[in-house]
Amino acid sequence: MSTTLTADTPLLHAPPAPAAPLVHAPALPAARRPRTAWLRRHGRSLAAALVLAAVLFPFLWLVQLAFRPAEAVFDDALLFRPTLDGFASLLQGNFLRSFWNSLVVSTLSTVMSLLIGVPAAYALTRWRFRGRRHVALWILVTRMAPPIAFTIPFFLAWRWLGLQDTLLGLALVYLTFNLAIVIWLMQTFFEAVPPALEEAAYIDGCGVWQAFRRIALPLAAPGLAATAVLCFVFSWNDFFYALILTRTQAVTAPVAIVNFLQYEGWEWTKIAAAGTLVALPVVVFTVLVRRYLVRGLTAGGVKD
Amino acid sequence: MPSPSLPWTAGGWQAERRRAFGLGLAPALAVLLLITLLPAAALLVGSLTPLSLTDPAGSFRFDDPLVNYRHLLEDERFLGSIATQLKLSAASVVLQLGVGLGLALLLDGRSRLLASARTAFLIPMVLPPIVVALIWKIIYTPDVSPMHRALEHLGLPVHSLIANPGTALWAIAVADTWQWFPFTLLMVLAALQTMPAEPLEAARLDGASRWQLFRFIVLAHIRPVLVVCGLFRLIDSFKAFPLIYVLTDGGPGNATEVTNYYGFIQAFNFSYWGYGSAIAMVILAGVFLLSWGVGRLGWNTHEHDTDR
Repeated sequence: MSTTLTADTPLLHAPPAPAAPLVHAPALPAARRPRTAWLRRHGRSLAAALVLAAVLFPFLWLVQLAFRPAEAVFDDALLFRPTLDGFASLLQGNFLRSFWNSLVVSTLSTVMSLLIGVPAAYALTRWRFRGRRHVALWILVTRMAPPIAFTIPFFLAWRWLGLQDTLLGLALVYLTFNLAIVIWLMQTFFEAVPPALEEAAYIDGCGVWQAFRRIALPLAAPGLAATAVLCFVFSWNDFFYALILTRTQAVTAPVAIVNFLQYEGWEWTKIAAAGTLVALPVVVFTVLVRRYLVRGLTAGGVKD
Repeated sequence: MPSPSLPWTAGGWQAERRRAFGLGLAPALAVLLLITLLPAAALLVGSLTPLSLTDPAGSFRFDDPLVNYRHLLEDERFLGSIATQLKLSAASVVLQLGVGLGLALLLDGRSRLLASARTAFLIPMVLPPIVVALIWKIIYTPDVSPMHRALEHLGLPVHSLIANPGTALWAIAVADTWQWFPFTLLMVLAALQTMPAEPLEAARLDGASRWQLFRFIVLAHIRPVLVVCGLFRLIDSFKAFPLIYVLTDGGPGNATEVTNYYGFIQAFNFSYWGYGSAIAMVILAGVFLLSWGVGRLGWNTHEHDTDR
């Protein structure tokens, strides 16, 4: 863009020059522009790299703390012999179990919300019924509602139903946000599938759901995968519901970390190792689905 | 309603199609009804009773339905928590918008390095909130904090920021900003990438300064997105929990006790479920009001100029 402009600029700029403020003219000598543009571009990358390092520093500090020997936690030296002691100490307690609980709950909740949510998203995309906007808005509002509003009724109901401190109970509660995410996101992916393909299938005698299974779903498969990953991550990340709705049996990894903080003194390497382990799947997934992540994280924010 | 213009459409097919779609939609709507509207109704009903652990017999008394709400108006701690909430929300939303906007302008370029930086900048937002809280617990705990050590080396030792009532809320606002600025960054970047090039070129030819370009063209283009971002983050800021739970536990004193946290304490530390429900209802009302604002202000109106 700037290269095409430099060729034109002197010609086009000359006539209105008297009208423009005089100070402005020497600021853009045609000869210097390529060099300043080059500098500007690389200066920008340099600045971005510096800011990135500063922003990620607190996170990286946590990770390096996980590999420090316990006796070197309070050392100033940045060089140390990395050790896995912090991670090894996690093997002894209940942390592995909570990690497993997190995996099960997140998977269960993801599968349930996909099973229920994907057909609903498809119906909402292809079926322009009256009240469709209201349904869409309702689903958006459930994303907005504060968890505390749901927690008190769920806490009381789960006590009564015997679902408190169970993995199933927690997975069901996670539907409150995951279902909204699935319905919202999958609509955008189904909208990208041309309806003409399905109409052709109808003519060939396919039913609605046969056309969905054979045509729309395979074409939306990458979106489906990304949606599944996001559901998993949102369930994995939850702390509030898990804190309130679990006691001992169904404790998830985030709650286990807090228990370390509260009951096991200040074993920083152990705590940092647990934090690193819990962050690991999320960071891996972020890299895997970064293209779709934007949509999921801003779901409802940008109508794309 | 059904369009009879399609040549292959028989009335029966349309009805069948509608029924099939209804069948696909029904389970999701039923589940949503059960897990969102029913609890919301239960919350409302619960907030009208003196429900608590110590008084299970009095659970469903409605002789004085507004008792909880009347108490709320006299509860200094509750009113204080709203003030704290507003301060925290305002501070962190303004900071996030500023940082996010600034970084979006910095990262809006075509080089590969900038593209990968854009992904890396998302990390704070996707990390489990409890890990974010842990990260900042480490930063704010003088023994292990690199920040405190660096300040000490410079001869400027400071006391723990989260133990000081004057700075605790700011410390949380900074951590919250660190976690959530990527949201604004993402949204503003998306808006910048849909910005048409012609007005900028035209203005440049007319001799506009860089500030004028930013102020009158770029900012005008991304303003709706910024407003939506601000509202979204404002709504989400009412949910702030793990940071406060891990960093300060609402303290020191009540310095960082926001409304959400106060509701949590009433409902789950003291088991005053009825009173906690009333607090949650107040938050819910605030969220609804703001969501309605989102619907009015940006989300519906700019759907036409974001390109697909």
